Amino acid sequence: MRIRVDNKNIEVDSNKSLLLNLKDNGINIPHLCYQEGLEPEARCRICLVEINNKLVTSCNTYPKEGMEIKTKTKRVNRARKINAELLMPEHMDKCFRLNKHHDLCNIIGDLGLKEVRFNPTRKYTADLGASVIRDNNLCINCGRCVQVCAQVQATWAIDFAGRAHHEHVTPYFEHDLNDVACIKCGQCIAACPVGAIDEREHLQEVLAALKDKTKHVVVQTAPSIRASLGEEFDMPPGTLVTGKMIAALRRCGFNKVFDTNLGADMTIMEEGTEFLTRAKNNGPFPMITTCCPGWIKFMEHFYHDLIDSNNMSTCKSPHEMLGILIKTYYAKKAKISKKDIVVVSVMPCTAKKFESTRPEMKSDVDYVLTTREAAKLINHFNIDFKNLKDEEFDPALGISTGAGAVFGATGGVMEAALRTAYEVGTGKQLTKIEFDQLRGMDGIKTGTIIIKGKEIKFAVANGLANARELMKRKDDYHFIEIMACPGGCIGGGGQPLPFAWEKIHKRMAAIYKEDARLPLRKSHENPIVQKIYKEFLDKPLSKKAHKLLHTHYYKRGL
Amino acid sequence: MQIKKQTKGKALAKAKKLGQKATINLIKEKVLLGRGGAGFPTGTKWEMVYNEPEKEKYLICNADEGEPGTFKDKFILEKNPELVIEGIKIAMFAIGAKKAFIYLRGEYEYLENRLKKLIKKANIEIVVGAGAYICGDETAILESIEGKRGQARLKPPFPTVKGLYGKPTAINNVETLANVPLAIYYKDWNPNLRLYSLSGNVTKPGIYELPLGTKLCDLIKLGKPKNKIKAIYFGCFGGCMPHCEKTKLTPDDICGKDCIHGAGTIIAVDEKHSIVDVATNIAKFYEFESCGKCTPCREGTMRILALLENISLKNADMKDLNTLQELAEVIKETSFCGLGQTSTNHLLTALKYFRKEFEERIKEQKDRRRIR
Ligand code: SF4
Ligand code: SF4
Ligand code: SF4
Ligand code: FES
Repeated sequence: MRIRVDNKNIEVDSNKSLLLNLKDNGINIPHLCYQEGLEPEARCRICLVEINNKLVTSCNTYPKEGMEIKTKTKRVNRARKINAELLMPEHMDKCFRLNKHHDLCNIIGDLGLKEVRFNPTRKYTADLGASVIRDNNLCINCGRCVQVCAQVQATWAIDFAGRAHHEHVTPYFEHDLNDVACIKCGQCIAACPVGAIDEREHLQEVLAALKDKTKHVVVQTAPSIRASLGEEFDMPPGTLVTGKMIAALRRCGFNKVFDTNLGADMTIMEEGTEFLTRAKNNGPFPMITTCCPGWIKFMEHFYHDLIDSNNMSTCKSPHEMLGILIKTYYAKKAKISKKDIVVVSVMPCTAKKFESTRPEMKSDVDYVLTTREAAKLINHFNIDFKNLKDEEFDPALGISTGAGAVFGATGGVMEAALRTAYEVGTGKQLTKIEFDQLRGMDGIKTGTIIIKGKEIKFAVANGLANARELMKRKDDYHFIEIMACPGGCIGGGGQPLPFAWEKIHKRMAAIYKEDARLPLRKSHENPIVQKIYKEFLDKPLSKKAHKLLHTHYYKRGL
Repeated sequence: MQIKKQTKGKALAKAKKLGQKATINLIKEKVLLGRGGAGFPTGTKWEMVYNEPEKEKYLICNADEGEPGTFKDKFILEKNPELVIEGIKIAMFAIGAKKAFIYLRGEYEYLENRLKKLIKKANIEIVVGAGAYICGDETAILESIEGKRGQARLKPPFPTVKGLYGKPTAINNVETLANVPLAIYYKDWNPNLRLYSLSGNVTKPGIYELPLGTKLCDLIKLGKPKNKIKAIYFGCFGGCMPHCEKTKLTPDDICGKDCIHGAGTIIAVDEKHSIVDVATNIAKFYEFESCGKCTPCREGTMRILALLENISLKNADMKDLNTLQELAEVIKETSFCGLGQTSTNHLLTALKYFRKEFEERIKEQKDRRRIR
């Protein structure tokens, strides 16, 4: 279909909104409340264009044959500018960070807004949760967080309340986020165009530890960080920065830089063996993965029957496994007292911040930083990230496999587990170790594999709305992986802003590139893993392994 | 008054005899236009719902009369509720709805019991609103009945295609439905008779039934004003115009003057009152009633009120009038739903016809400060 835009003909797709069509044709219409993949709600009234002498919002208008659109008239510009001006006073008063990653800050420049004629009026108390914080004084009521929480995460932790300019985002009955069924996934942070929702920073604490000469400060980085950290330093999405990341963290003053991928390999050994034991005993099935703390909290709130029915694996998440290995195995080898070690995890995720405060976990990870915080830390030390020479992880806990690497993307945990479960279970080599049916962005992916004559059915879901779907037919499967965030950890709530599907696709490609590049690609072939079992844990699921690497869950209300 | 006539179920019986299609056609022939404000032909609306293949359909009687100065639906529901119930039954039959809802304005709750008694066994449920003006908007009514926050929905899909619970739904106003039995039963039913809610600076406010085309000043005379009337407001959303001998009560005559004829609401303002104060009052109403969904209405109505309060009581200058004008225009052009889009009509028309009053007020305040 053809329409006319600013007196030029362009070809458009009638199933896509004008906003997206124009974007495809290189015309960017400023917008705030629309987020790719969500239903347009058309609240912000910024994405205006003129059709037939009327102003319409392009995010929820679809092309029609013969349409004539004007995107640059005086009227359009004035209206966009005034609506942006109306949003500014509240936000401007409290926003200290003029952040290039925040859509609003970008838009006011484009619109040429130089003066705001109104005074701020909002007076909300900020909700300072343990991992996710919200400041309604900064909020511009775009509704993206509410939509993401409901449509993508099916958690409904927040919604709008109040009317007119008293309308504001809140958990039900004005509770704090900590007191409601919020899973701390941070997807609302990723959605927010103005930074009104953010992670609870732990930078000051980490800086203090780095200064303290009596402390041995160790950092570990999650599988997905190397695929996204570059974006914070203006490198194109999908650039693998493993070597630079390690070099930069060393320059920040960390005594050791370890690889959470090794923790992932350990998880696979434990979880894979757990699965093989269940296969031998004929159940209980399905076994469900527990690497994602967002999913764990979701399960504890909404699906806690899975705890009694023993469907949940008992494995700790990879960085918690590595955390405790650092404070036991590594401490002993390096002859450092446990209490002098500080473990910092760089994670894609605010749920990991929450996880490290869980009482039953008695976490050995002291601080969790998101990808964004790690970038802030690196900037704090004025490190020229882009021009760093590649370095390697510290060898003590620094060798990992492609299996650990793919943990960063949805389907990765399953793929890694199947590589090991098949080879350990059958004693045979896989002819092809890539599980193509587990790769890609589909919300739910399924497949089967034969291990020792038994047909094993597996399924993978990302995004908790999809998880809800999968749970309806969970009994059809033997093994299920769930990741809370869209695309898995590469789409986590702690990743570089702003959110865009395109970036997640590129990060995913980078993850699989890392897998293909590594000489070892199966967890059970990792020499350090073998060494840890030989010298320290005996064998997977041994008594000691159980004590250190496994955990339990609680039933939570709504 | 035509609206006080009764049909005692005979209209319903006649409709049943005619069948669905013929009833719809009869309503079309008689040109019954919606009385909620938009004036959409009722028969056509019914036909759209009737033609939808979906089996489940709904009828909603909109009794959420929230427009300031409008009280004709209340008048009908008090004086002749039987007629409304019969209208609902006929509409349900015509479009094929098994269930109907009466969405009753929160402040009219006292009418609920009386209506319930009249409904008897018919499948009509009364939902009492919580007092939000926005819920007079068709789509916000749907959200509200479904138990959600009263905010307008995106159109399309239109309610006739996907309305309540996603099913085809006809939404008719009380006055419209009351006229249905009359139109069907009485050969001499006059489609041009309208109910006018008259209020403001008159000594005899109330409901007047007059034909379209009546001179506005004749209606005002019926209200017996004490002083000379200078401005007429057509409800809040309709905007205002100077009172003039020639104006007739027809959509064309009034809409041509950038006011909206709407639901027959006439508020008279006399010489003793300042338009600036009226505007501030109305702005207060919108600042309170905006649902909060979209930027221009949520933030804009609040800024308009602040500016007006500044002009009328404190310290403004002429520049503020421009800001006011600009804001009012953008709110009208870009708001999400009818509430926002019409929320500044009163101000835009006031600024057009009575700008002097605003300018004078600004000067007055300035002088007063100088004296102090
Ligand atoms: S952290 Fe996740 S669950 Fe909590 S409010 Fe945000 S999106 Fe919803
Ligand atoms: S918190 Fe952010 S995402 Fe949520 S409504 Fe406010 S501005 Fe939008
Ligand atoms: S998917 Fe990854 S980033 Fe998202 S909550 Fe789970 S662990 Fe965190
Ligand atoms: S992006 Fe279209 S109205 Fe907000």
